[in-house]
Amino acid sequence: MRDHAAKWPPAPDWSTAKLDRGSISVRTIEGLSQLLVSGDLDAWATASGTASASVAGAVIASGNKYSARIARDRVLAVSATPFALATGWHDAGFAISRIDAGMHVFQVEGPGLNELLARAMTQPLVSSGPSASLLFAGINVVLYHFTSMQSVRIHVDRALAPYLWEWLEQSV
Amino acid sequence: MQLFPCPFCGLREESEFHYGAEAGNVRPDAGFVSADQWSDYLHMRDNPKGATREIWVHLTCGEFFMMERDTVTHRVMGSTLLEDATHSA
Ligand SMILES: [Zn+2]
Repeated sequence: MRDHAAKWPPAPDWSTAKLDRGSISVRTIEGLSQLLVSGDLDAWATASGTASASVAGAVIASGNKYSARIARDRVLAVSATPFALATGWHDAGFAISRIDAGMHVFQVEGPGLNELLARAMTQPLVSSGPSASLLFAGINVVLYHFTSMQSVRIHVDRALAPYLWEWLEQSV
Repeated sequence: MQLFPCPFCGLREESEFHYGAEAGNVRPDAGFVSADQWSDYLHMRDNPKGATREIWVHLTCGEFFMMERDTVTHRVMGSTLLEDATHSA
């Protein structure tokens, strides 16, 4: 039988995989609680205690709990500790789906960040509007600044994480 | 790379978008729909040269909208949220 395994490098051990190339570093952030929330986003912010201003483009995320904007009526809620709200429909006007294991999170930081973003995206992140959902290196990710303009978090479908890692290895 | 305007996100690269349909091709939904009407709905397109109105979707945010653009010059005149657009005519 043909051995296709040799065509692709094995996915790295995410807990130790790290890129460090002077002006930029990349690592995986494990264990974040992630929810897809759809519906009345103000009601969600009140119920969950997250900031009502959602994160995207020029808006920098910070703290242990925030919502990254995906669409007019949808956010990706991210927290270092599990959210207290149950999944499913909430009568306040929003629905919650848990997506903890569905998305892999990379944190990319360093003075070389803007150069890397310019290689992966058509427009500067600050002018990408109110949605953090965009094309990065040809695939759909949720991407926003985290704590500073020299750092971003990238949420990507878990199945595409090895591809993105390989792209980063070659581009950083 | 051309930039298209999403009514929610603003200008984004064209590869984030997907063409949906010609605007104004409304599904015939009367009690009786003739074979000609149905065939017209399914198969006949205006395919205009020049100014056109189309339904597009912004894949990254999921927004459907009506975009007015020119098929010859590629100039985009604007985009409108479907709820606000009169796409039935
Ligand atoms: Zn959009």
